[in-house]
Amino acid sequence: MTLSAAYNIVNSSFAANAAQTAVVSKNIANANTAGYSREIANVLTNLYGGADVDSITREANGALRDQVSNATSQAAGQQAIADGLAKLAQTVNDSASASSASGATQNGASPSAMLAKLQNALQTYAASPGNASVGQAAVNAASGLAASLNSASATVQQVRSQADASMGSSVATINSLLNQFAQADKAVVSGLQSGADASSAMDARDKILGQLSQQLGVSTVANQNGSTSIYTDSGVTLYQDAPRTVTFAPTQTLTPGASGGAVVVDGVPITGAGAPMAIHSGALAGLASLRDSIAPKYQAQLDQIAGALVGAFAETDQSATPTQPPLPGLFTFSGATVVPAANAVMGLAAKIQVNANVDPSQGGNVALLRDGGISSPGNPAYTYNTSGATAFSGRIQQLIDQTSASRSFDPAAGLGVSTSLAGYASDSVGWVQGQNQHASDSVAYQDAVATQANAALSNATGVNLDAEMTHMLNLENSYTATAKLLSTVGAMFTALLQAA
Amino acid sequence: MSALSVSSQYLSSVLNLPMSQAKSALAAAEVEASTGQYADLGLQLGEKSGYELSLRNQASQLQTLTDANSVAATSLATSQSALTSIARDSQTALQSLATWTSGDTTSAILPNLGASALKSLIASANTAANGQYVFGGINAGAAPLADYFSTPASAAKSAIDAAFQTTFGFPPTDPAAATIPASALQSFLNGPFAAQFQGAGWSANWSAASNTNTSQVIAPGRTIATSTNANQPGFRDLAQAYTMLSEFGGAPFSASARQLVATSASTLIAQGANAMTGAAATMGAAQASVTSANEAMTSQKAILQTELGGLDNADPAQTATKINDLMTQLQTSYQLTARLQKMSLAQYL
Repeated sequence: MTLSAAYNIVNSSFAANAAQTAVVSKNIANANTAGYSREIANVLTNLYGGADVDSITREANGALRDQVSNATSQAAGQQAIADGLAKLAQTVNDSASASSASGATQNGASPSAMLAKLQNALQTYAASPGNASVGQAAVNAASGLAASLNSASATVQQVRSQADASMGSSVATINSLLNQFAQADKAVVSGLQSGADASSAMDARDKILGQLSQQLGVSTVANQNGSTSIYTDSGVTLYQDAPRTVTFAPTQTLTPGASGGAVVVDGVPITGAGAPMAIHSGALAGLASLRDSIAPKYQAQLDQIAGALVGAFAETDQSATPTQPPLPGLFTFSGATVVPAANAVMGLAAKIQVNANVDPSQGGNVALLRDGGISSPGNPAYTYNTSGATAFSGRIQQLIDQTSASRSFDPAAGLGVSTSLAGYASDSVGWVQGQNQHASDSVAYQDAVATQANAALSNATGVNLDAEMTHMLNLENSYTATAKLLSTVGAMFTALLQAA
Repeated sequence: MSALSVSSQYLSSVLNLPMSQAKSALAAAEVEASTGQYADLGLQLGEKSGYELSLRNQASQLQTLTDANSVAATSLATSQSALTSIARDSQTALQSLATWTSGDTTSAILPNLGASALKSLIASANTAANGQYVFGGINAGAAPLADYFSTPASAAKSAIDAAFQTTFGFPPTDPAAATIPASALQSFLNGPFAAQFQGAGWSANWSAASNTNTSQVIAPGRTIATSTNANQPGFRDLAQAYTMLSEFGGAPFSASARQLVATSASTLIAQGANAMTGAAATMGAAQASVTSANEAMTSQKAILQTELGGLDNADPAQTATKINDLMTQLQTSYQLTARLQKMSLAQYL
């Protein structure tokens, strides 16, 4: 070994030291960057016995990253559903506002609570049928019930419209992310081919995947040339060499019964009832489920309640030999000519109103509630109180009995098929609150899963400052030793040259 | 690195989620402590919300029925007191008739007795409670019995005058009345005269009441009649007896015919008083039903409220413990965060 060989080793040591310091600096700089993968400089002994930084390894973990993106999608989907259900639950959230400890008073504004108020008002009216102001109170309670159904129905459509609009912005985000991903992916492929450092591009790619998984569930496949393909969790290609276009036509106003447009990738619908490859997770899936399944089901329940109300308060022909059809009585809707069959009128809950003939604020006569003939005032066929007696309570009691009599309901609305109107209304409250509770629990669970997955990924690929500092101390010592070596070799050369 | 490595980012953010969870749980627990109920009942009860709401509705229905029962109770008590006063008047009339002797031709005892009893019967029959005539049946908006002594002559009086005129050819005040044999008067009283009260004449000339009594639901599934009406036999009999005395008690009849009037009236009054007692007993039974229904509903409400309390109310002891635990947890988290921040090699180099 010669002194000049020692010089070469010192040189390579400085170079390796500098390269490692650069890596440590980069790691420390990105210690708090979410999604950054720690880098490790691989040092090898070279031909002359010195040390070279041969390559830099990026501490990535594909399996953990997939787990994180999966958990993120699940959590985002549940969150979208929970947000929508929380809004729907506001239409029935009596319990939270009713602070009465006695339980005897009912402060709620849900259709169920308003129906109970109407029943009570009618019961009071039945005890004093001659008292017009008590009758007025019953008509007011009926108006309150109709208004409660109208507003619940409006909330449902608002939730659906908001979900539709959010789907639009989600699709825009997805398209923009896919384009960004395409750039990062191309940078990775060309970097790997040219031997340049592709780690920043890889980090960018991972970050975009994380954002994408917020919007919809994705799965990835790594290709041989270093590029990554993205598929939806249902298997539709989102990116393979080039981004696919995701299209969606938002609907301005969603009316009851109208279904919004589907999200289409590459000509394949990924949301909607008939979608063969429907996505399972992500905000987009949650929003679609809210818009197409949960909210319409609640609308159907409200419509069932409204339909049953029109039916229960309908007036029938009182003649000895009835020839006239039943007509809508206290509750009707604009354009009503007959009592509609179940499901015949879409969005009945939005249209239901108190008949103007019985509402004094619209020029009607309260006494018609007691006497009958709301549907057609003065028509003897629909008059129950033929003698005009002021203490006639038979019709009022009949109406009360109708609200608690068993009726049949459409099983498609997701509740019992045979129950009373009052029972159905409270079942509907239970359904909404149950869904709300379930969604809220799921969000809590999925959040915990996502946090765990993120922790695992962060621990596996993230930066530990203490470890990097220790590493830096090592490098510092190594630098000091190398510098010492250089000066020693220099002194030796000087001594040699002076001796010569 | 080994699997035990922990990234700095994770270390600094590990407490974020538990801390935010503890804060929202603390906010909810504070609401529970102040209201005594769960902070978000809907979220707490879930599917059970529907059940909770139906219990609540049931309790409010019982409350409504209890409130409405006071209307029935008032109407029943008013009827009862009117019936009592009618019964008292009939007893007085019977006693006066017993002391009257058929030889007393000059005095106006019988017509006065009849007229005053008839006036007070009509007044009692027209008793109202809450603006509703209690003896009107379901036609409670109109006075059941019209004033017999009104000017011009009431339909009832005109009809009786006409019937007498048709039968005998002269009015009862005519001196020729003395010639009417007791048997002829008997057949008039039982025939055309009685028809004015027991037959079609009653609803045509006397009563505006409906034969249908008012009824009310006093407890779930329990309906009772809350009144009797002025068409029931007691009113007809008493009105017939009093009118008989008032119209014919002072007529110039023969002694035997006059005695016939008094005897017929006595029989009818006794019969009417009997019917009134029956009606009063029915009212009393209805009053007892209302009272027992109210008691039953009060105990039902208490059961429902216990059940509701079990669903709605947070256990105060548990809430207090929860608040303490959460505060301890938050404080520990804050201290831990501060210490973890200090625990870096950079501090020691």
